[in-house]
Amino acid sequence: MKKITAILLIALLSMTALTACSNNTETTEAPESTEATTTEAEMAGEDETDAATADEVTLTYAIWDSNQETGLRTMADEFEAENPGIKIDIQVIGWSDYWTMLEAAATGGSLPDTFWMHSNEIYRYASNDMLYDLTNLIASSDEVDMANFPEGLVEIYNYEGTQLAVPKDYDTIGLWYNKTMFDEAGLEYPNETWTWDDLYEAAKALTKDDGSQYGFLAPLHNQEGYYNFVYQNGGIIITDDNVSGYDNEKTIKAIEFYVDFVTEGLSPAIFEDAERAEAMQNGLVAMGYFGSWNLTSFSENEYMAENFNVAVLPASNDGRQASIFNGLGNAIAYNTERPEAAWKWVEYLGSEEGQARQAELGVAISAYNGSSDAWVNSNDTYDISVFIDMVEYAQIRPYSNKTTEWEEKAYELLKGAFTGEKTVEAACREAADMMNKILAEE
Amino acid sequence: MPQASMAGKGKISKRKCNEWFWGLGLVAPTIIGLIILNIIPIIQTFYMSFFKSGDFGKGNIFVGLDNYKKMFADTQVWSAVANTIKYTLIVVPVTIVLAMLLAVILNNKIKGRGIFRTIYFIPMVAAPAAVTMVWRWLYNSKFGLINYVLNKLGIASVNWTDDPNVAIYAIAIIAIWSTVGYSMVLLLAGLQEIPRDFYEAANIDGASLFKQFRKITLPLVSPTLFFVMVTSIIQAMQVFDVIYMMIDVTSPAYDKTVSLVYLFYNNSFKYSNKGYGSAIVMLLLAIIMVITVIQMKVQKKWVKYM
Repeated sequence: MKKITAILLIALLSMTALTACSNNTETTEAPESTEATTTEAEMAGEDETDAATADEVTLTYAIWDSNQETGLRTMADEFEAENPGIKIDIQVIGWSDYWTMLEAAATGGSLPDTFWMHSNEIYRYASNDMLYDLTNLIASSDEVDMANFPEGLVEIYNYEGTQLAVPKDYDTIGLWYNKTMFDEAGLEYPNETWTWDDLYEAAKALTKDDGSQYGFLAPLHNQEGYYNFVYQNGGIIITDDNVSGYDNEKTIKAIEFYVDFVTEGLSPAIFEDAERAEAMQNGLVAMGYFGSWNLTSFSENEYMAENFNVAVLPASNDGRQASIFNGLGNAIAYNTERPEAAWKWVEYLGSEEGQARQAELGVAISAYNGSSDAWVNSNDTYDISVFIDMVEYAQIRPYSNKTTEWEEKAYELLKGAFTGEKTVEAACREAADMMNKILAEE
Repeated sequence: MPQASMAGKGKISKRKCNEWFWGLGLVAPTIIGLIILNIIPIIQTFYMSFFKSGDFGKGNIFVGLDNYKKMFADTQVWSAVANTIKYTLIVVPVTIVLAMLLAVILNNKIKGRGIFRTIYFIPMVAAPAAVTMVWRWLYNSKFGLINYVLNKLGIASVNWTDDPNVAIYAIAIIAIWSTVGYSMVLLLAGLQEIPRDFYEAANIDGASLFKQFRKITLPLVSPTLFFVMVTSIIQAMQVFDVIYMMIDVTSPAYDKTVSLVYLFYNNSFKYSNKGYGSAIVMLLLAIIMVITVIQMKVQKKWVKYM
């Protein structure tokens, strides 16, 4: 009796395994076998999968910034309404996990259909053919033209003559300051005439001896921190010939000036990413460098909305201005099963209409030339036009083929300078050695 | 039918054959699972450690022992070994002593012991990432509850997560807090197998409670204790999630807290150098194997199987 039940159980188990299999095959086959109402897509080459678009197609769109999700969702809804049959599934994964996820997905052949690309990682994906070649699609498109985007951004996503992503947005870094604290100290608000000396003097005046308030925030952070000072001082992080600029005299001087804020007690020593914004939002610091992508979260924070404003970054003492500039791109997976639908979505995001909508909704500064006014008007809490003003002298965020590796290792080496374990000069020279070793392997 | 064909060989009795069939059949899911999920990946990782890995699993280049040579010269690997061992030496003894204490207390008929058992076990059920997030708020050097209380008591703030000398203890506290319940439940199960009569006899002979603990409880619970020790040490050596959630590469405490698995993660997934990551994790495997072999040898001296 027992035996029979056991055999029955095993039979049952293997049955469920079998049905699970057949279920799978059914779902994958289903879209292909249904009748093909032809879509108006006239793209060459991809006709085999056209049948799939006849049914409802769900495109995945992976992004890393949850602040942009609401705005992008609105755009996706509008896109869905205009393109019946296409659904957009937005997946948000935080910055550091995003790349782990994407790499695993790429290795396993299951990349999201469409996703964000970044200058740090584009080379790896491009050189391994992980991205859909958009060159011909762009050439035959009425909506998207690379001439409408800033050249520097287009270049980032152009690999050996093939365009692999359409620029989405750009960002610059601004000086956020606490108006209330400036009023209290009787100081004039930061403006476009400010230099490093003004920044330093103001930081000194705003710092309280009891440690309850610091003048400036100088965290261990590159893009929203010392990179800006390096380029303002005429220094460099990576040369055109792929050599590290960390041992450049001007680079070292700039980082010394930056680290001095911490060693002189004008800035709290902050190393952790999330603690930077917290220090602003808790009224611990009066000034800090933050990128334009923080706009949504800074506007939603009541304390900041009430007390803060933003200005252009101070120039170095000899008047040189710089702000780190970067931009994302929308890319399509090389092996997507629905290239037409994916291109339609990416095309929409890169079209004049889509870019204008993105700016209006305040999602990000649209990359499309001339759409910046719409972005500026999207927010009346802060004077965000300063972010646009800085584009003129903005400096593309330094990158090479192995950016992530040398950036993270530079953090490991530079933090000794922030804690006072070693001099800035020694730390910078170590960073240069490390970086040159990595660059030599590229 | 395999059953019939095996019986056909004749030499082994049908009954025995039948037993084997069912025995193997029932452990098969576990064995297959182990082979697919553990054994094969171990072999692949070992194989990978001789390669300089290309991106996305393509274009791996055989480099022989280069990864191992680089590893033995890498000071960060050795400080990670030291950190991992230090962490284990803090967490395991404290956890076991606390778990033993709690298990003995909760083995008595005290009021509300069901509630206490549940309370101590809850941290084990909670997701480690969520637990660490909560602890991070508590530890926050400027706005955290712990420093707030310390300040109220007139003690200066401690920089729990950034101070290189403190961070590893802060991490160990989280680990102890979250694993003590699990060890306690295992020990509790061991304690309940000890027959009551032994204690009654000891009482009649006039043995003190402490003596009863030493002469009856400890020897009889030693097999469970041994199991708890071996698994806790292996688990502690593989520490990753708590450190990963608490300590960023940018943290000044990074060098003093980075564990071997964290280093493996950074090299394999952040710097996409899977070959080097594999070499690091092979080192960890070797260390754990040595420790476990020693424990298996030493156990003969102190573990008493009834």
